[in-house]
Amino acid sequence: MSAAEDIWSGPRESRLRVVISAIGLSGAGFIAVIVALSDVIARAPAGAVKVGPPSHVPDVMYAFGTDVLGRDILSETVHALAVTFSSGLVAAAIAIVVGAVAGFAAVRAPLRLGVALRGIVGVLGALPVLLLAIVVVGLTSHEFAPIAAGLAASPSIFNRSFDRAMRLARSRHAEYARATGIPASTLLRRDLVYEVRGNFINVAGRAFASTTIALATLSFLGFGAMPPHADLGLMIASARANYLELWWPALFPALALILLILFARLAAALDEGEPP
Amino acid sequence: MSEMLLRIRDFTLARSGAAKPQIENFSLALAPGDTLTLLGENGSGNSAVLRLLAQPLPRGAAASGTIQLRDNPEQTIGKRTLLDLRTAYLPGPHANVLNPHASVLSQLVLIIARKLRQPRASAQAELSLALGRLPGAPAPEALDLLPALVAPEALGVGLLAAAMAQTPDLVLADDPLGELSPAHARALAEVLKAEQKRLGFALLYSAARAEAANLLGGNLIVLRSGRIVEEGSVSRLATAQSHAYTQTLFRTTATGEKSPDRSTARGEPLLRVQNIQFATRGKPSARDKLNFELRRGSSLGLIGEIGSGRRALARALLGLDPVAAGRVVFDQVDIGVLSTGMIARLRRRVTFITGDDDALDARMTIFDTVSEPLRAHLAMPRDLVAHNRDAALKRVGLAALPGSRTVASLTPFDRRRLQIARAIVSQPLLAVIDEPLRGLDAFAQSVVRDLLRNFRSNEGSAMLVITSDFGLARAFCEDGFVFKDGRIVERGPIAQLLRAPQDAQTKKLIEAVAAAPVTVAPDPPVSPPSDPEPLSQPVPMVPEG
Amino acid sequence: MWRLWLLRAAQLIGSLVGAVVLATLLATASHPSHGVSSFLSAFLAKLLAVLSGDFGQSATTGASAMTAALTAFPATLQLLLAGVIVALLLGIPLGVFLSASRTLRAAAPLMQIIAATPVFVAALALIWIAVRVLDWNETSQASALSWAGLMRSADWSTALRAFALPALTVGAAGAASVQLSIRRAAVRAWSAPYRNGLRMMGLGTFDIDLRYAVPDVVAALLRDAGEIALALISAAAVAEWVFHRDGAAVLFLKSAAFGDWNVAAAILFVFAVIKLVAQFVCLAVSWFVAPDEGV
Repeated sequence: MSAAEDIWSGPRESRLRVVISAIGLSGAGFIAVIVALSDVIARAPAGAVKVGPPSHVPDVMYAFGTDVLGRDILSETVHALAVTFSSGLVAAAIAIVVGAVAGFAAVRAPLRLGVALRGIVGVLGALPVLLLAIVVVGLTSHEFAPIAAGLAASPSIFNRSFDRAMRLARSRHAEYARATGIPASTLLRRDLVYEVRGNFINVAGRAFASTTIALATLSFLGFGAMPPHADLGLMIASARANYLELWWPALFPALALILLILFARLAAALDEGEPP
Repeated sequence: MSEMLLRIRDFTLARSGAAKPQIENFSLALAPGDTLTLLGENGSGNSAVLRLLAQPLPRGAAASGTIQLRDNPEQTIGKRTLLDLRTAYLPGPHANVLNPHASVLSQLVLIIARKLRQPRASAQAELSLALGRLPGAPAPEALDLLPALVAPEALGVGLLAAAMAQTPDLVLADDPLGELSPAHARALAEVLKAEQKRLGFALLYSAARAEAANLLGGNLIVLRSGRIVEEGSVSRLATAQSHAYTQTLFRTTATGEKSPDRSTARGEPLLRVQNIQFATRGKPSARDKLNFELRRGSSLGLIGEIGSGRRALARALLGLDPVAAGRVVFDQVDIGVLSTGMIARLRRRVTFITGDDDALDARMTIFDTVSEPLRAHLAMPRDLVAHNRDAALKRVGLAALPGSRTVASLTPFDRRRLQIARAIVSQPLLAVIDEPLRGLDAFAQSVVRDLLRNFRSNEGSAMLVITSDFGLARAFCEDGFVFKDGRIVERGPIAQLLRAPQDAQTKKLIEAVAAAPVTVAPDPPVSPPSDPEPLSQPVPMVPEG
Repeated sequence: MWRLWLLRAAQLIGSLVGAVVLATLLATASHPSHGVSSFLSAFLAKLLAVLSGDFGQSATTGASAMTAALTAFPATLQLLLAGVIVALLLGIPLGVFLSASRTLRAAAPLMQIIAATPVFVAALALIWIAVRVLDWNETSQASALSWAGLMRSADWSTALRAFALPALTVGAAGAASVQLSIRRAAVRAWSAPYRNGLRMMGLGTFDIDLRYAVPDVVAALLRDAGEIALALISAAAVAEWVFHRDGAAVLFLKSAAFGDWNVAAAILFVFAVIKLVAQFVCLAVSWFVAPDEGV
């Protein structure tokens, strides 16, 4: 039982969880629609300068205003949201496949190999996701940022999956099942079906939230997306120079980023299985 | 009655928002030195009475009735009812009442210090004195460990000593004997009775099973769904003259149950054990060499306390652990020479019914739990799987529950029945029955016993019964091995073991269940195997409180 | 018990060895090597050097990588220390408050709505509020302030302000972990069967909470020290960048950007050591607060 289940126990809370998750999923769906229609919604292509007058305050014409180069912030934010959203999906998928699937598979490997893997990954888990991702980007290139964020987030998911799978494999019910000749494939199916059915949205939502934060931070620090394919982190970084006066080029991408992370966390029913 | 200690009249307690009161119109009278057992299933209301006397009423609860102490005037039961009575609460060692991260000794000393309003040093002295008086009690230093590291029987005596150190007028016992093995329960009951004689306290015992009432004697109130079914002395209520419900509760303790007939259901050998060395502790000697046969449909009891080696033998017989020497032949195949895959195939004909609440995967649904063996072992068409599954669920009385409910949401009683349903569909050659009644209340025990008996007569599987309860072994086994300290100390037909036990351990285990002589109505006759659905009526369920 | 701690110590040593190998790999991988055997010999040579504390030279400055890392660490450690203090000051009351009643416990996960803000966004927001709302002069420009600088500084308030914002940023990130850890432990302690058991046996609620529930919660917080340390280190890296503080984290970013992997490996190694040792020490302390055979 995860700690989240301790906190959210009882029928009323479990209904509430379903509602929260539904809100998060709808929000994420809404963002997905915006992303899909980004070329329609945005009046200008990504990075197009002099779309409007420079440093224009948000008004009816330019809902999110323009920056010093006359770029339309609404268009830029929509394009950047599309970049962040898609690279977040890639990163989350990598984190889940490398982390969760490998974690569950490692338990079924010979015991020593599994434990050795757990030890190695445990050492990687002693480093913050952000620094690990920076190392991967530094050793490869900027284009690898989504992969780097996914790989960097995978050790903690691996460790948790491994520990959970180990608990399941050593549980009484698994022992009884083996003692009555239930084949290993059936037990594996059990784990896949029940873990996926019970936890997939939670795990995916949390993985998406944490990889998106890592990706945006990478870009903000200069290790992620590069112009003209700016993501939200890079937009905030480039607006930072004079955001004390020109607040809108920084505020709107920041809000979009926060909303994206929030919807992912809501979709995970605000599950707090790991420290934020 | 010469002197009165406590009288409760018309006590009713309802939690806020609950449809039904936890207990209704409950009355009792206790004199010093009295023993009164409140017997009822979980949720029958007996714990509500204990709570009334042990601590303030819960917030938002509506209570009525009166309470009278000695010759003081009667007072109405309300939020601020203060009892001028020295009460001591005595829980069982399995109830996890102590903090797991602090030593048992320190917690017991603190409790005594608070109750007696004494400094902790003198409370510790009181506890040491109390422990010194109790036969078989551990030394105080042996309790200076985390609760998990203290053996349940030692913890039970420690909790008893803590209660006795308070020199109470009234002991509120929350089934301290309940989860102990029969031998340990009997020993603790003897100590409790001796202390009661010495200190003269009244004992109010809340029990889910009738064994405790048998061990303690005195009076009994039988509760069901918050109402009194009947009351009277244990010796009277344990007879056939009592209410039908009371008889159900007492039937589970029936020591007069007949052993299965040795002549029936004996066929080809199913399990043949040749010259295996068995001793879990020390070096096995020639004496530990084991040879025996378990024939199809017959049944063997592995009888002993926890850790006596009974389960180790069962594991060796099933090929779960390797045997040092000798051969185990299951269904004509030597399991020592089989590959893992072949052993797995062989094990399909083995099933487990255990008192372990984790035996089933808590994530699975009721339907999946029962149909998994069918799907995994026999490539059965979907509708046939569903048919077999439904029939099995019907037999154990779970057909009324939605099949999509997860095991996690079921009560221990339902889980136990679900294990039996899963066993039924596996059509096993061998069923390992491991303390199947553990943790159940009297009513549930009686139902599970009936289901097991029914399972045996219908499925005709051989049985390995692992238990510390000779009564259970007697009801299900023809032969038995008695275990102590990792060795088999005695073996033979159960009837012979009961008639003329040779080893001290066998005698101890038999004495533990041979409580106050009780005559009980005989079990209802086991339905003949021809009856397709002998238990098709859903078992009447009392909603949990 | 001794066996348990021997095992724990062995695990710590194993992890530290793992960190050494990882750092060595990083330092070696950055150098071009031809073929497996030349890589292996380079790796072994590097490993021997690293074991003696020599991570090689910085590719940009030519100075010793370890010295460069250690020179930059005091500023980061100060920030981390201040972050720990702020995290505890903010996180403990928040955690306790949010576990105080059933309703609050149920509502507590809504905290994540605030926690959805990435650290760099929160840091920028703090600067904006400080400059535009509180009229502090542009603190973001006050660079490289340390405790020593703060002590020497004539203008106390400016110096304090310059330090307050990064400390608050790091502390807030830590506080989120601290309050979560406390809430989880509190829920466990509050619903544990011993609370009712001890009450029935005659202890008062205050006694039970003070003697048993509080140590359980503190021990759980200590057991989560590793996770909290990770959150703090991560936040410190971002805070140093945003607030232009010259610390180890910024040096790491620059080294990674310029491919100066000897320095980056040295810094990464020290961060891993900080996390692992903090985790081990806190685990040991937690055992004294509330011994647990399972830990």
